[in-house]
Amino acid sequence: MAEEEKKEMSGTGTLTGAALEAEDVLADAEPWEPIETKLVVWSLVVAVIALLIGLVVVPTSILH
Amino acid sequence: MADLTNRRWYTGMLTQEDWWAVWLGVGFFFLGLLNLAGIDIVGFLTYPTKWVFNVPEGGKGAIGHAFYAIGKKTSMVSKEFYKGMGWWSIIWTYVAFTIATCTGAAFMRWNLKRFFIGWTIIYFMTIATWFIGHHGFIAANKINMHKYGLNFALSLGGGGSFILALIVGLIIGNFFKPFAIYLSEAAKPEWYIKTAIVTLGVKLGYLPIKLAGFSHKLGKEAAGLTFDLFIAGAAATIVAYMIFWPITYLIARKMFNLPRKTAAVLGSGISICGVSAAVATGGAVRAKPVVSIMVSALVVVWAVIELVVLPGFFTHVWPKTADPIVAGAAMGMSVKTDGADAAAGELLDEFMRNKIAVESNGTVIWPEGIITASAVMTKVWIDMFIGIWAFVLAMVWVYRIDRRPGETVLASEIWHRFPKFVLGYFFCWFFLLAIYFGPGQGGSADAMPYLKTVKAGAVPIEGPMRKLFFMLTFMSLGIITDFKKLKEAQFGKMVWVYFVALFIFIIPIAMIVAYLFHHGMQIPNIAGYVQ
Repeated sequence: MAEEEKKEMSGTGTLTGAALEAEDVLADAEPWEPIETKLVVWSLVVAVIALLIGLVVVPTSILH
Repeated sequence: MADLTNRRWYTGMLTQEDWWAVWLGVGFFFLGLLNLAGIDIVGFLTYPTKWVFNVPEGGKGAIGHAFYAIGKKTSMVSKEFYKGMGWWSIIWTYVAFTIATCTGAAFMRWNLKRFFIGWTIIYFMTIATWFIGHHGFIAANKINMHKYGLNFALSLGGGGSFILALIVGLIIGNFFKPFAIYLSEAAKPEWYIKTAIVTLGVKLGYLPIKLAGFSHKLGKEAAGLTFDLFIAGAAATIVAYMIFWPITYLIARKMFNLPRKTAAVLGSGISICGVSAAVATGGAVRAKPVVSIMVSALVVVWAVIELVVLPGFFTHVWPKTADPIVAGAAMGMSVKTDGADAAAGELLDEFMRNKIAVESNGTVIWPEGIITASAVMTKVWIDMFIGIWAFVLAMVWVYRIDRRPGETVLASEIWHRFPKFVLGYFFCWFFLLAIYFGPGQGGSADAMPYLKTVKAGAVPIEGPMRKLFFMLTFMSLGIITDFKKLKEAQFGKMVWVYFVALFIFIIPIAMIVAYLFHHGMQIPNIAGYVQ
């Protein structure tokens, strides 16, 4: 599949059964960096805050 | 993202599937509303009903009536005309949707000839499976099987047709590959399901009107329930997603040692909304296009597996009919891709409604569509969240991880990543709610003649059109699903990341979060009104 076509597909969001080329995108993992820790931790913090606010605010939550 | 700066807010309105789902759904919705002017031009939409080869004396199910024009039941002005249409309604429906979809295909610059032929084949195969799936043996249940002269029935309701369409599609996609490739121009599950979701907005807005027809109180209950779903769905989605993404990212990076970008795309694909999220995140972190495509293919295959397993699991294992809205919301957070989720929600709706009718011996009957709506609601919120999350990731990658000097991320990116079909869904829903609370006077007796006219326009869209597009989705999803790809593309690690994340974390967490926000939500019982 041409590179152009692949880019086109990736920009549309369309499900497609077009052929895949197995490129090596699974190897050469970079070392873990502190920014990744921050990203993960802050996502979970936001989740906990959203959970607490949601449980209080949403009328159908189990707290009500 | 410099190449994206030329885009305007209206870019893609005539060239993207998302927008064409809106044009199709909202367009037919407005055609339906012409009923308010005394013109019914949507009553021809075809609809199947249960049938058997040998109708018992005094029973139901004549094969000649297996398909009918919905206007035969709903039309206020052309009932007699639509009564005579019978099976010909299939052709009328074909012509109407062929014109509509081919117009969309032409604007989206697809190969029109191949689309037309593929669409025609897929449409008639879909109708055939819809017909077979409505045989009394498959669709009837313990309560009504005797009317069809049967002593046993599978009790699958309309769900049997969906499963059948998926099976036929999968057979074509996996055993008749040249044929599947030929049909691929018209096998567009995302487009069909997005259109169906827009019409689900009609369903949601129509629910209070429908139930007001039974009683004023039920109408109000339904309106309240849809608002509750809206709010609970938003909270559950944000909580679940902000847990899903980091956990999947951690699994991909720490357990399976995948590169950052691949892990980020996988994280979004597995935890949010499959294809769109994978593509949006791939763009945001600038992963190679093949990563998004690989993750998308993986998402589709796993979504089909979830689609087969989860509706049965939620119906018969947990939470069963005790908490159907929890099941629907959990479905919306567990099944990736809009197509598979809405389809699984529809299947769950059919299974649950049949189960409760059988369990209660017909004393409890739930209106159709509410469980589907609960599955779609969480999904719709997730879809809206994708744009924001892609924006956040783009900022993290540009400013912190890749540190690209001089590059900026435009806030307009959120709009460009926004799933536009959601606008059609909300538009139809709120438009009908405005009618219900406005000229419909909240379902008061005085306004019932007016609301009945609205009903004549809404039912063909929320019933036959929505179901047909669900059927087309199942068929198309099967056609493009090639299980062999998992092997050929050497997904290896990705398959395992998906498996571990999905079954050990995402589905259980989705069930817990759905329970926290939806436990105890009741579906109105309409048994006293429909029997």
